[in-house]
Amino acid sequence: MDKIKITMIVNKQSVEAEIEPYARLLDVLRDDFGFTGVKEGCSIGECGACTVLMNGKKVNSCMVLAAQADGCEIVTIEGIEGPDGKLHPIQEAFVEAGAVQCGFCTPGMVISSYKLLSENQDPSEDDIKEAISGNLCRCTGYKQIVDAVKLAAEKMKK
Amino acid sequence: MIRFDYKKPASIEACLDLLNYYQGKAKLFAGGTDLMVEFRAEDEKLKDIEVVIDISCIAELKFIESAGEYIRIGSCTTFAEISENPILRKYAPFFCEAGKSVGSPQIRNTGTIGGSIGTASPASDPAPPLVAMDSSLTILSSEGKRDVLLSEFIEGAYRTNIRPNELIVSIHFKKLNPEAGFSFVKLGRRKALAIARMNVAVYVETDKNGIVIDVRIVPGSCMPVTKRITEAEHMFLGQIPDYELHEAIGKKVSETMVGVTGKRWSTPYKEPVIASLVKRALNQATGIKENG
Ligand SMILES: Cc1cc2nc3c(=O)[nH]c(=O)nc-3n(C[C@H](O)[C@H](O)[C@@H](O)COP(=O)(O)OP(=O)(O)OC[C@H]3O[C@@H](n4cnc5c(N)ncnc54)[C@H](O)[C@@H]3O)c2cc1C
Ligand code: FES
Ligand code: FES
Repeated sequence: MDKIKITMIVNKQSVEAEIEPYARLLDVLRDDFGFTGVKEGCSIGECGACTVLMNGKKVNSCMVLAAQADGCEIVTIEGIEGPDGKLHPIQEAFVEAGAVQCGFCTPGMVISSYKLLSENQDPSEDDIKEAISGNLCRCTGYKQIVDAVKLAAEKMKK
Repeated sequence: MIRFDYKKPASIEACLDLLNYYQGKAKLFAGGTDLMVEFRAEDEKLKDIEVVIDISCIAELKFIESAGEYIRIGSCTTFAEISENPILRKYAPFFCEAGKSVGSPQIRNTGTIGGSIGTASPASDPAPPLVAMDSSLTILSSEGKRDVLLSEFIEGAYRTNIRPNELIVSIHFKKLNPEAGFSFVKLGRRKALAIARMNVAVYVETDKNGIVIDVRIVPGSCMPVTKRITEAEHMFLGQIPDYELHEAIGKKVSETMVGVTGKRWSTPYKEPVIASLVKRALNQATGIKENG
């Protein structure tokens, strides 16, 4: 099996790698490029800890082959930051609303919230629940997470 | 993880050539939401696979089009695209509901209708509405084209009659009457025990006197092959929708299921649940309130 050369834009930077044809996008992001904010939870599409944006769409990176991402634009949690290069308002809101406990689900939750708020500045509670329905959290109550997204929406309006 | 080579044909023609070349050693890969789980589990049935053919970017396989009386959907159309599509929302809303119930937003962004049919899970959510619409598939190979009814393409649980050199190109069905009643109801999550998963799609069309002139009743997840329950449909034709009648039809559906599968350990649970889901779906489709 020959390795495949792929080029992607990850968090606005062009990157290149030689990958195994059966490698998952999740592994290439973590192991080849060090984006370890992308978490591996269940490995079978259930938990959303590995969520990234691929050409603007939310996907579970454990369900995508790295070869499929050739020529694609990827956004991971490392690419989400505030205008000043510090925490993004969504991240601030997660901290302030107590929506982070062990933090394992947080990168995926933040990506899902980011995607929602980039399309809908004024989401209803149902919109928020739907947006995070593919992200599981074992620790925090979902209420804190929903509150955090509401708070983030407020912050981002300012 | 099973190891394989990767090919990404740019057209249907290039894909058929690859299938022809590799025969049984190639696996078509659409959204990968079923396959990635199986590769990881090193599923026995994938042990001879040498190459994965990624069809997720073949533009010719991604479309939803209205053509006269029919709607045709490309096999690589995702569930996110299906659940939002205005043509489908108008003429087949229960199919959109089923699509919207698949997995999670992430799964729906990649999972495709062709992949769901290829897997042929008896617990598939899109299968009941598709079978209710007597959908057919268009399948291509380098030898030619064939059209086959979905209910005949699927031969058993996780078993279809696809040949190694074939590609499902599209699925098509007749538009239903947008004024008629539609319902898709689902119980349980995919990872729940098989016993706790069930779904039903129904379609009920009445004439101006309120008499039923067309009906489709398709329970899912309870038989190896998802089928219309014609015995129950016949009870309804020519009648006027009514709570008690819906209850009796629900019982008929569960009896038919037991007739097909025989009595099993799960029967005492499934029998009443299927009956009540069918009743609920019929009530929903005909606007009759559930008590309680
Ligand atoms: C977390 C999770 C939750 C899920 N929840 C649900 C649910 O609620 N309801 C439900 O119904 N399903 C569910 N599924 C199952 C799955 O998402 C669906 O069966 C479907 O989306 C698979 O499509 P795919 O494109 O990802 O298929 P793939 O994995 O790409 O392919 C599946 C099979 O179909 C074959 N195939 C694909 N395209 C073609 C084609 N054009 N021609 C011939 N063969 C083809 C492949 O070779 C393979 O054998 C879930 C899966 C996961 C991982
Ligand atoms: S690790 Fe990918 S969804 Fe759980
Ligand atoms: S904070 Fe621990 S899983 Fe969500």
